Amino acid sequence: MTGGAWLCLLAPLAGTIAILLAGTRIPRQAAGWISTASVFAAFGGAVWAFFSLRAQSGHDGEITTAWTWLESGSFSAGLQLLVDPLSSLMMLIVSGVGALIVLYSIGYMHGDEEERRYFAYMSLFVFSMLLLVEGGNLLLLLVGWGLVGLSSYLLIGFWHERPTAIQAAKKAFVMNAFGDATMALALFVLIAHSGSLSFATSFATAGHLSQTTVDLVALGLLGGAAAKSAQIPLHTWLPDAMEGPTPVSALIHAATMVTAGVYLIARTHPIFEQARTIELIAAGTGALTLVVAGLVALVQTDIKRVIAYSTMSQIGYMFLGAGVGAYANGMFHLMTHAFFKALLFMAAGAVIHALAGEQDIRQMRGVGALMPFTKWCFLAGALALVGVPPFSGFFSKDSIVAATLGLGWYGWIFWACGVAGAFLTGVYTFRLWFLVFPGEPSELVRRAFGSHEAGDEQDAEPRGHGSEPHHDGEGPWTMLLPIGILAVLATVAGWLQWSPKWHPFTTWLEPAARTLAIAEPTSTQEYVTSAVTVAAGLAGIAVAWAMYAGGRIAVPGAPAVRRALEHKLYFDELYDAVFFRPAAALANWTRTEFEEPAVLQTGPDLGQTALDAGGLVRRLQTGLLRTYVFFLASGAAVIAVVFLLVR
Amino acid sequence: MIAAYSAGAALVWVVWVAAGFACLASGVAVVSFSNPFYSALALIGNLGSLAVLYLLVSAEFVAAAQVLVYAGAVMVMFLFVIAYVGPRMEAPWAGGPSWQTFAAVLAAGSLLTEIVVVIALEAGGSLGQDGSVGRDFGSPGWIGRIFLTDHLLAFEITSIVLLVAAVGGVILGSHTRRQVPEAAIPDDEREVAQVS
Amino acid sequence: MTGPGIVWYLGVAAFLFGTGALGVLLRRNVLIVLLSLEIMLNGANLALIAFSRHVHNGAGQIFALSVMAVAAAEVCVGLGLVVALHRRRLDLDVDALSELRG
Repeated sequence: MTGGAWLCLLAPLAGTIAILLAGTRIPRQAAGWISTASVFAAFGGAVWAFFSLRAQSGHDGEITTAWTWLESGSFSAGLQLLVDPLSSLMMLIVSGVGALIVLYSIGYMHGDEEERRYFAYMSLFVFSMLLLVEGGNLLLLLVGWGLVGLSSYLLIGFWHERPTAIQAAKKAFVMNAFGDATMALALFVLIAHSGSLSFATSFATAGHLSQTTVDLVALGLLGGAAAKSAQIPLHTWLPDAMEGPTPVSALIHAATMVTAGVYLIARTHPIFEQARTIELIAAGTGALTLVVAGLVALVQTDIKRVIAYSTMSQIGYMFLGAGVGAYANGMFHLMTHAFFKALLFMAAGAVIHALAGEQDIRQMRGVGALMPFTKWCFLAGALALVGVPPFSGFFSKDSIVAATLGLGWYGWIFWACGVAGAFLTGVYTFRLWFLVFPGEPSELVRRAFGSHEAGDEQDAEPRGHGSEPHHDGEGPWTMLLPIGILAVLATVAGWLQWSPKWHPFTTWLEPAARTLAIAEPTSTQEYVTSAVTVAAGLAGIAVAWAMYAGGRIAVPGAPAVRRALEHKLYFDELYDAVFFRPAAALANWTRTEFEEPAVLQTGPDLGQTALDAGGLVRRLQTGLLRTYVFFLASGAAVIAVVFLLVR
Repeated sequence: MIAAYSAGAALVWVVWVAAGFACLASGVAVVSFSNPFYSALALIGNLGSLAVLYLLVSAEFVAAAQVLVYAGAVMVMFLFVIAYVGPRMEAPWAGGPSWQTFAAVLAAGSLLTEIVVVIALEAGGSLGQDGSVGRDFGSPGWIGRIFLTDHLLAFEITSIVLLVAAVGGVILGSHTRRQVPEAAIPDDEREVAQVS
Repeated sequence: MTGPGIVWYLGVAAFLFGTGALGVLLRRNVLIVLLSLEIMLNGANLALIAFSRHVHNGAGQIFALSVMAVAAAEVCVGLGLVVALHRRRLDLDVDALSELRG
């Protein structure tokens, strides 16, 4: 078990180091295969750990310690890995989906000049995420947390000649840093009270803290989770993060990193359960985000941004589930979401790749005629996203919505949000589908596919960094195979659990994250909720069909609302006014009032002083013999006097 | 050697006063004349009176060397150069006493005072004329013996210094060996070429 | 022998030294400066000789002879410089020879 955990953790790190050390000595493609192999090895390790955990009775998991890393006073933290049901689940998801996405990247990033750097970063990211989920104490979790933020920054800004990409990377990093800070503060409080960051001790201590303290700790952890998972109000970085290459969006901003917040809540649920108010705030945040993101997704014109807001919305569902106490449901949705969201991103990436970088869906009609495989896979993912049975989303999403019913009056509000979210999901997803895939190919599409006849082959030479990739037809097998595998998973993965009838998933997670009793719905509630959400989803599909199918692009009324949604509800403008402008003004003021006159002037002033002193001394050098002799004589006289006095 | 001291004490004093006075007067004269030729001649007088003073303290060899070397060779060299350079009359006190004059007088005066004070303090009264010295004190043989035994190093080094000075003097005074056309030398090199 | 004590000799020596110093500091003609330098050296010589007599040690006289030799050497070089200056038509005035100024 622990062998599997170590293999899973270290294989991607070995891949990164191998690529870094090999440098330009290996061909660019080789870097991709090294990275893919390392992540597949990690998946192997995860499978091994999973099966050995299954073989263990009680499934309690095991902590393995490599060495004591940090010791300070009574506080010590070791390099510990934890293999328990929750972490082994995450290991499988991260390494499995990650391996498929890295394989896809080989085809997508083919020809880019800096491919090696890309794959080194990808392996680094997988390592960081695995460290996060395998960490046996909160300190390692925080380390992994920071490293995934770093990898995300590096990969969003991968095409660093684009100023928008760099700004997006900075934005993501800064907002995540805010979350990191709140998390660190929470951990400091825990250390102060319990002297340890191991899970067992921290959770035990949480029970003895005052309500305010444990509320603060939970709030700090929630801040970190919300920043990492792009929940309101720390969500503005996620749409901009789409500046990175599409596989990056698939892996980091859909399947794994953004779900780290949910994992955190599930992992530290004993602390959250002590601070029930904060946990419900988490649920409320999730509910709010899922509705708002769904609304904003309705007016987006960039294919990747639609999917990004969809991610935000679905993570809202997961927060909702974890917040009300249905951890297993939240984690189940995390798993199915990883599959179908990665699928959607990769299929969108295939389309973007084929159209040589075009991302505006208003130009993209009729792609399905020329890319049938992609079309059907995308459809599978879309149906899973909306939650249509028998696709996987149905099984996971509805159980979350049903779990809210036990909570009293705000439970009803959450339930309503969940249903509204399902409706909105239907609308925006199938708006995307109808605008892009069916129908006659548009001008752009025909041009993109038509120009690939006469010798316009896939580049063997470096394409140049920062220019969009493109290929002929549907794409190489390295891109199509992962899409296909994920399409299958998106279809069938849901059959793992249907809450009323069979729930091996929940049972599996019980030792690590037992669902709260209040969050377990009755069968009736389940059935009713499922019916309502499926109906809402289908209604959404119908609305989308009415508005966008068959070549129509209907523009709904309410221009003020539309404008607000197009500006993403003015969050960016608000943050700019509240945070950025005062900070910039303060920095400028400090610069003009303090730094320039005092600090920067110090250097020239010192220099000038030295020069002036030198000038004064220079006047002694008159060039006249008599002056020198005079000084000689005076000096001798003075020395003689001193000599006398001393004796 | 002046060995008959009994009634000669007065004689000694008279000689001493005369020689001392001559010494001081000629010293002032050296510093004061405006014509360097006269200054050189005054210096010769100074050297001579100093030789007399040396004799009074039984330093015969040194007195002889003073007259022979200093007055005889060094001063002659001085006179040659003064004659070569030509008459240059400089008004020594032209322009009135400047701050430099005051400062110089002050410095010299303070040196003087200090020396006297040091001697007085250190000696504390023990600077009387004491005892008699041996017959060969100050004789050439005696000097020679010391030079070649106790102070051999000083002897050798002094000779090296003299050698170096001789070479330097020759180099400084020699004519330019090549006459390079003036126009061909750039300005900053011209002086270098001239000096060598 | 009861001539003047050493103090008298030292007084003369000090006076000579001071006079020479005055000459070096105040005169502008290079040759006169060199001559004043000689006066100073002679003052020192007198003091050395006097002390040699006082402490019955020949080292003072040896020292005085060395001083004489060095004075000769120095005069040789100094006069060589004067000749060189004269050859190049420079004014033999210490105030005018001030190119080494800062």
